[in-house]
Amino acid sequence: MASTDVTTTIQSEWLDFAPLIILLPMVAFAVILFLGRVFNGNPFWKNTLKEGGLIALPVMGASLVLSLLLISEFLGGFNPLKVFDPAVADKIAWVNSAVWNGGSTVTPVSFGFGIYVDHVTVMLLFVAAFLCLLINTFSIGYMNTDPINDNRNHRFYAEFVLFCSGMLGMVLSDSFLWLFIFWEIMGLCSYLLIGFYYERPSAASAAKKAFMTTRIGDVFLMIGLVMLWDLFGSLDYAVVFDTHNIEEVAKHSAGTLQWALGLMFIGAVGKSAQFPLHVWLPDAMEGPTPVSALIHAATMVNAGLYLVARMFPFFGAEALQGDLEDLAFIIAAVGGITAVMAAAIAFVQMDLKKVLAYSTMSQLAYIFTGLGCAMYLANTLDWHHDDDAHYIVVVAFGAALFHLFNHAMAKGMLFMASGSVIHEVHHAHHHLHHHDDHGDGHGDDHHDDDFDAQSMENMGGLASKMPITATAMLVGSASIMGLPLIGGFWSKEGIIANAWRVAQDDPRFFLPATCVLLGAAMTGFYMSRMWFKTFAGKPNNEIAAHVGPTNTWIKTPLFILTFVTLSSVIFAGLGFTHWASDNSYELGEKGLLKGLVYELEHAFANSDAFFFILTYVAIFLGAVVGPGLAMALYGGKLAEGEETKPWMRPVIQLSAWVNKRFHFDNSAFAESTLATALENRLYIDEYYDKAMVNIVAGFSNKAAEADSEVIDGTIKAIESGSQSLSSVVRSMTTGSARDYILMVAVGTLAIFMLIWGVA
Amino acid sequence: MQDWISLPLVGFPLISSLLLLVFVSNVSESMRNKLSDPIRMACLVFSLILLGITTGMFFQYFGDVSWEGIGFNQYEYSHRYTWIESLGIHWTVGLDALSFPMVWLTTFLLPVTIVATWNEKNGATYFPIVLAMGGALIGVFVALDLFMFYVFWELTLIPMFFLILMWGGADRKYASQKFFIYTFTASVVMLLGLVTLYFFQDPGNPLDYAGSMTGRSFDIPTITQHALAENSNGNWYLGANIQKVLFAMLMLGFLVKLPAVPFHTWLPDAHVQAPTGGSMLLAGVMLKMGAYGMFRLPISLFPHALEYFQLALMIIGMVSLVWGAIVCLGQTNLKKMVAYSSVSHMGVILIGIATMQPMGWAAALFMMFAHGIISPMLFAVCGAFKHHYHSMEIGAMRGMAKHSPWIATSMMFAWMASLGLPLLAGFVAEVMMLIALWYFIEANGWSVFWMVGPAIVLAVTAAYYLWSMQRTIFEGGDETQPPASLHGEPVPDLASPEKLAMLILAAFTILFGVMPWIGLDMMHDWTKQIFEGLILPILGDFNGGI
Repeated sequence: MASTDVTTTIQSEWLDFAPLIILLPMVAFAVILFLGRVFNGNPFWKNTLKEGGLIALPVMGASLVLSLLLISEFLGGFNPLKVFDPAVADKIAWVNSAVWNGGSTVTPVSFGFGIYVDHVTVMLLFVAAFLCLLINTFSIGYMNTDPINDNRNHRFYAEFVLFCSGMLGMVLSDSFLWLFIFWEIMGLCSYLLIGFYYERPSAASAAKKAFMTTRIGDVFLMIGLVMLWDLFGSLDYAVVFDTHNIEEVAKHSAGTLQWALGLMFIGAVGKSAQFPLHVWLPDAMEGPTPVSALIHAATMVNAGLYLVARMFPFFGAEALQGDLEDLAFIIAAVGGITAVMAAAIAFVQMDLKKVLAYSTMSQLAYIFTGLGCAMYLANTLDWHHDDDAHYIVVVAFGAALFHLFNHAMAKGMLFMASGSVIHEVHHAHHHLHHHDDHGDGHGDDHHDDDFDAQSMENMGGLASKMPITATAMLVGSASIMGLPLIGGFWSKEGIIANAWRVAQDDPRFFLPATCVLLGAAMTGFYMSRMWFKTFAGKPNNEIAAHVGPTNTWIKTPLFILTFVTLSSVIFAGLGFTHWASDNSYELGEKGLLKGLVYELEHAFANSDAFFFILTYVAIFLGAVVGPGLAMALYGGKLAEGEETKPWMRPVIQLSAWVNKRFHFDNSAFAESTLATALENRLYIDEYYDKAMVNIVAGFSNKAAEADSEVIDGTIKAIESGSQSLSSVVRSMTTGSARDYILMVAVGTLAIFMLIWGVA
Repeated sequence: MQDWISLPLVGFPLISSLLLLVFVSNVSESMRNKLSDPIRMACLVFSLILLGITTGMFFQYFGDVSWEGIGFNQYEYSHRYTWIESLGIHWTVGLDALSFPMVWLTTFLLPVTIVATWNEKNGATYFPIVLAMGGALIGVFVALDLFMFYVFWELTLIPMFFLILMWGGADRKYASQKFFIYTFTASVVMLLGLVTLYFFQDPGNPLDYAGSMTGRSFDIPTITQHALAENSNGNWYLGANIQKVLFAMLMLGFLVKLPAVPFHTWLPDAHVQAPTGGSMLLAGVMLKMGAYGMFRLPISLFPHALEYFQLALMIIGMVSLVWGAIVCLGQTNLKKMVAYSSVSHMGVILIGIATMQPMGWAAALFMMFAHGIISPMLFAVCGAFKHHYHSMEIGAMRGMAKHSPWIATSMMFAWMASLGLPLLAGFVAEVMMLIALWYFIEANGWSVFWMVGPAIVLAVTAAYYLWSMQRTIFEGGDETQPPASLHGEPVPDLASPEKLAMLILAAFTILFGVMPWIGLDMMHDWTKQIFEGLILPILGDFNGGI
């Protein structure tokens, strides 16, 4: 069933064009950078081409179209609805070399580049290409309307498309080596874009922190890859996933394999901002909001998940059954711990984007937990022969990937919506306080004032001012919280259920299982808190009262993503969770309606009593307890005379009612040590900084000193020693030829004796 | 085949630069200043001719030479002229996959260096010296005669000495003397090794091209052939102890040149005081003479000793790698930091050699080449920084992205290339080194803790580069004040020739990063053949053919 021959090459029309998906944005990078330098300030470049935004847009459109053609061909073209054999394109021989590992010959090796398409690829490819295009659209509305970005937007768009190229390349490439190469390119773009406002010290330091933290993960990843390479003699998926090769490795080095995969997982921890390498993500919010939406919410942070999902064939291999369960536990546990930790820190954040950043961290952690549990099930159950076990494994893995999809869509939308809010708040502030110099272009005092457009203190009651944004934010939040039937509900329930299923087999998993269940309530709280503080109640100040609606470039992607998030129910009905992981189920196998009924039945009327109760506990926690507490604390009616769209009215009214009825004083908590610790991000960053300054910098300064004092000092001592020696020698220069001949004779004799002796 | 090396590649730059220098030193001061422009132009044209010749060689335009598949001890374009018949000294030249990339690199860097330092003072003397430097460096790489090799080896010191002494910074006298004495002392040990190698030949059974009086030969191909035959017969060529001693003596000379810790302290001083052009050639090509020499002589002649000293080399390599990187982190001087990063990268080469894996050697060769393109860019950036801000201190100028976007962009690019960003030239070599190192650990049953060194370095390298960029490129917009050393002058950016040089270096860094096979395939073939021909036969003696 699951044992597909991965080396099958399938003739495909669009596979040949797949490299273009990567190359087009890469070319656009060079073009935008060049044109931006040449035509900087030119009115046509600035107003018509949007400083490169309208060059990037069609390119990303083309990438999406090519991706969709490839995906549709993959789904239906080769062999209708039954083609899940990974397709491997012709390879480019990139590096040829040879190694010797004993014996009388050397073994030739090569690293090539090729395209590899399977169901995981297809999922990520769609997410990446689709969101790159939407966020590109959003950027035009966001970046080009802020005078602070004038004449440097070309840099933004150039780095943006380079990033897209890296993301798409990582997803499409056919080996772990090229995955890593594109992974690093994404890291570079992340660094450059976080530091986009290079003049701010905070942005410069955030950029460095992001690069440095992920680099530490990458070092482990690199060593893991080297170990994996050593085991298989290659990093190509076609080779390492080959059942026969895995059997060979399993015979004698299953333990080494687990170490290799574990080290690679540390790389994923860094990239996906999981504990303990999570510290860079909140700081990364220094970048422009479209960057936060694309890189730090929807795509790049998924790279770590993608890497772990890529390892699935090892966990699922029959030959390795039971050998990798410890690693599966570590993956799930890191996820569980991060989910709770990040959610707790999100409780006290006042910065809109930071709430979302911690939420991203927490939701990615959910996916890690889901993947870890799926890996565990695949590694312990006899799923190759037992149909029930097979179904369990497939659905567990599918739920995690489906959550990745839902989260990417919802979080991309949330960030864009938050950007829209920030943009308009900023605008309103500008309008109120700088009436005279508004629109004069560059050089106004953006940085001088203390006004923080990202703080929720400066918002409130915006539901009436920005209805589309508020709706998008509402749907996105509901999806993240897992409110029944919306977006993330379908996948989150699956993750929680699977965590508990595994916990029944292996008591260690009670840790992640409890964490994700607790996390559901916490997510419900902080997401609701964010929405109510921003959109419900009365405006917190004059500025919030003057916020206006936003522009079309910004609204369009919000509208589309709202639609996608709400249609998650259709994807669930099509059997997305089964399809996303395995080739033994088809998309829409049961028919949409039947599938939907099946999913609903499965979710709300599970025949297993334990899971039946678990479902309702999770729903109760995530949809009642969390939001209820948030309503009690932060809910409230809009200001007099303000109206909003009919679908938001009941929510706001409910919140006002709960707030009136159940409001309580939380100042005791707000002033507690725990709250202070949370506000200080549990002091983790501080400890890291201290370690950097005291240990690393301290040691290197000492080393630099030692280098000049001790090593160079010794050389200098020898030099001065030889100088005094030379003065002794000088006294021997008697000028008498007899003395010299004697010296030459003795010296020659000495040398010959020396050489004769050693010979 | 016509001799494309002796006169066109070696004689032409040396003779023309010598004539120019003689001419320039005999004219008046004012005339010299007037001549600066035409001489610069002439040197540029001459160096472009050299580049044309080597590029033509690569594309098989001059003689149908296939660079891939060149075997061990096989040379293309080789020619031999008798020089001193009685001693067996010949003018012997030739190219193989070890030397050709280095020769091409030298001819590539010459015009780039001239362009990058277009406005150097006393151009009438400076540019001919740069050209002479190029000629001497090419001489080292093409020489296939021990005597000739040593002559060119020492000859390279002279132009570099003058470059540092005449165009260097405040401490240039100290630095140039230290540079000269330090490397010269090491060369003398090497010379002793070379002479011993000569005298330990058996005159009763003279090799080819032996001197009529001495019965001994300086001819590298002949000696290599002879040594190979001896070594693969199960003997140690020249006997075990002599081989070890000679290996150590030759290695010492090359390790100082490379440089490896603890013989590296001449390098930071030389670099900091050297002018930009000197630094570019010093880091780009001159350091690689050390690695080149290792492959050409000790490794080719004494494989048993290599096996014997493998652990020592690995330790020196690791220490260079790690120590270089950590000391980098403690530097506040931009150029010194870059200089130490060179020490660290030379550690990569040494580790690659010590792995005794074909892949490790290919990694070392490719690192020699890639670092030869990247490090000149690093030093060109440092030079521009110094030139424009009159300071080398990190933090002297902030917000360069705003004030000098070209310097900032070039710096970002060069730094990223040097820290091993994928798809730039250095990455391939680093990955290959890591894999070779792991293979070596596995094959020899060594501890995996050898991987800790490279792991630390990968992180630390990123740390010092990011740290320095944060304090130069970032942090500071319109309100940033230029450093006091500018005395209120407007902040300048790169001049056009400098921009051109940066663009060329960046383009080739990308080219060899995206398409490494252009250079790597010939290196791979050569290392594979030298390994099969030289090392495999003797490994059986040691490991019983595991």
